[in-house]
Order: sequence, then structure tokens, then C-alpha cells
Amino acid sequence: MSLHDDVEEILLDSETVANRVSELAAELTADYAGRDPVLVSVLKGALVFLADLMRAMDLPSSIDLMEVSSYGGTATESSGLVRIMKDLSASIADEDVLIVEDIIDTGLTLNYLLRYLWERNPASIRICCLLDKPARRLAEIPIDYIGFTIPDRFVIGYGLDYDERYRNLPYIGVLKPSVYGGAPPEG
Amino acid sequence: MADQLTSGSPPRFAHESEAELARILDFYGVAWRYEPDVFPISWNADGAVIESFAPDFYLPEIDLYVELTTLKQSLVLKKNRKLRHLRQLYPEIRVKLFYARDFRALMVKYGRTGFLADLVAANGNGNGNGAAKVAPAAADEDAPATTGP
Repeated sequence: MSLHDDVEEILLDSETVANRVSELAAELTADYAGRDPVLVSVLKGALVFLADLMRAMDLPSSIDLMEVSSYGGTATESSGLVRIMKDLSASIADEDVLIVEDIIDTGLTLNYLLRYLWERNPASIRICCLLDKPARRLAEIPIDYIGFTIPDRFVIGYGLDYDERYRNLPYIGVLKPSVYGGAPPEG
Repeated sequence: MADQLTSGSPPRFAHESEAELARILDFYGVAWRYEPDVFPISWNADGAVIESFAPDFYLPEIDLYVELTTLKQSLVLKKNRKLRHLRQLYPEIRVKLFYARDFRALMVKYGRTGFLADLVAANGNGNGNGAAKVAPAAADEDAPATTGP
């Protein structure tokens, strides 16, 4: 049984993703010329995108990683509030922060993160996301760089998971609804 | 912190799916109000209001109303019709409609499939709000998910 067998369709193949990442990197290199941005990503989904993006950027940038609790886990039952599971390892005061995200869906996590990061007094914060899925947005997120705007499908691969699986797929695919107990595709 | 939590006791939700959405918003610190406004959408010849629309949630930080739809197709179609009237009469109002499939996707995203199953069990075959079955595609085609500017 291959991971690929659980993929209903390939939404964005690896070449398409790689080309777009290169374009984003070129844009970022130009926009941040003369500055040393701190690339901040949220574990774990953005790791693959971050790794490719930073290598394609011609800038003296640094990286930092965060992890925040998600609704629905045991943390929800104990505290009822989102928690920072892994904080930044260095100060971002007066730094130009670029948040690198894999996907923005409801925007709730990023909305929380933005408020949190602004309290650290950075010089600026911009957002670069590979995938924008605006259908269920519940927070106003100012996205500065978007790789692709995608339809309302359950996507996996290129870092994105379902139940911690499929992150290592080289493309972005749509997960078969039968895998997560969903209904057949509509329309 | 969410408005609702800091302003007193939580409201009595009409459906458990609404309570779940409120918990999600609270978790991420998003302010919300439950059914704070009622918009008249139909009047009789005497000018009396005969039909109105009260969206389930209002998110003041982004000036957005959120409405969760029911599972029954007849009610979804009725809600779509009311939403169209709302858009015509109040074009400045932003309303996001969450269909059953949107709520279900949220539950899958947060690993709350057990909660989803409980809702199905509690509501039976399609009489509850927003959990078990996917809203038919025709309902989505009837009205866009977000209206207003």
C-alpha cells in the first residue's frame, strides 16, 4: 500500500510547486534587499516549504521555529486556550519578521500568532504562505505573499499532513475522503 | 479574550455545533457575540416585519457575521433564500455561511471526529445542525459562502 493510493488527485505537482517557490523567493529577495529578515515558521507543516524557500532566497536571513497547540487535543481540555508549545529561540525586537506558512485556512492560529509576535516589538511582520484557502476564513489575515489560492479541498503533501502522515509526498494532493471518514466528493 | 466570556454567562445555544464553534473561537481568543442582531428582510403591506434573519455569530474584530446551516436540505434552501434577501437589503453586511460540510471539515481538521459522531447520534438522520451530512452541492451553488464587500 503506497501513500499515493490515498490521493484522490494531484492538485499541484512538484514542478509547479518548485517553480512558484522560486518566484516567491525572487520576489522576497528583491523586497528584502539590504535587510536580514527572520523567517519564522510554525511547526510542522511549513517545514518543507521553509526549507525550499530559504534556499532559493539570496538573502542573509535567519530562521526560527514555533509550535502552538491546536484546538481539539488534550491541551484543549486542560486549559481551553491556545498555548505556545515552542517559543522563538531569539529576540525579534527591531527585526523584520517574515512568517512562512504552509497553508492559511480559518486563519485562527495565525491571527493568534500575529498578536503574540507584535508584542515582541519587531520592526515589521509580513506573511508568506504557500497555500491560501479562504473559504472558511474566520480572521482577517493580511497575506503579503501567496503561492497559490486553492479551492476548499482537504490537501496533503509537501509538509501538509493528515494524522501526521503524507507530509513527505513531493506534491500537493487531495486526500481521498474515505481516508478520514468523509463523504464522497460533491458535485 | 472573547467578548462573550468576559461579559457574563455563556448564551444558550440553539445547537451543539454552535457551542462548538464558540469553543473554537474562545480557544484562539477571537471575540464573538451570539445572535446579537436581527435583520428584517420581509414586510407585509402594513409595513410590519414578517420575516427576519439573525445570524448566529458576529465577530466584531473583523466585522463579520457567521451563520451555521442546518442539515436538512429544505432548511438550507430556505436559509439561502433569506441570505439572498439579506444581501439585497443590506449590501454593507458581511455574512459568511458555514455549511454542514464546512463544519465537518473543521471537525476533521481539529481531530474532533468523535464529537461529530456524537452529534450525528444525538441528532438522528439529518435533523440537527451542521454536523453529520455534507450539504448537497446544489446548496453551495445557490449562494456564495461570503457576501458583502
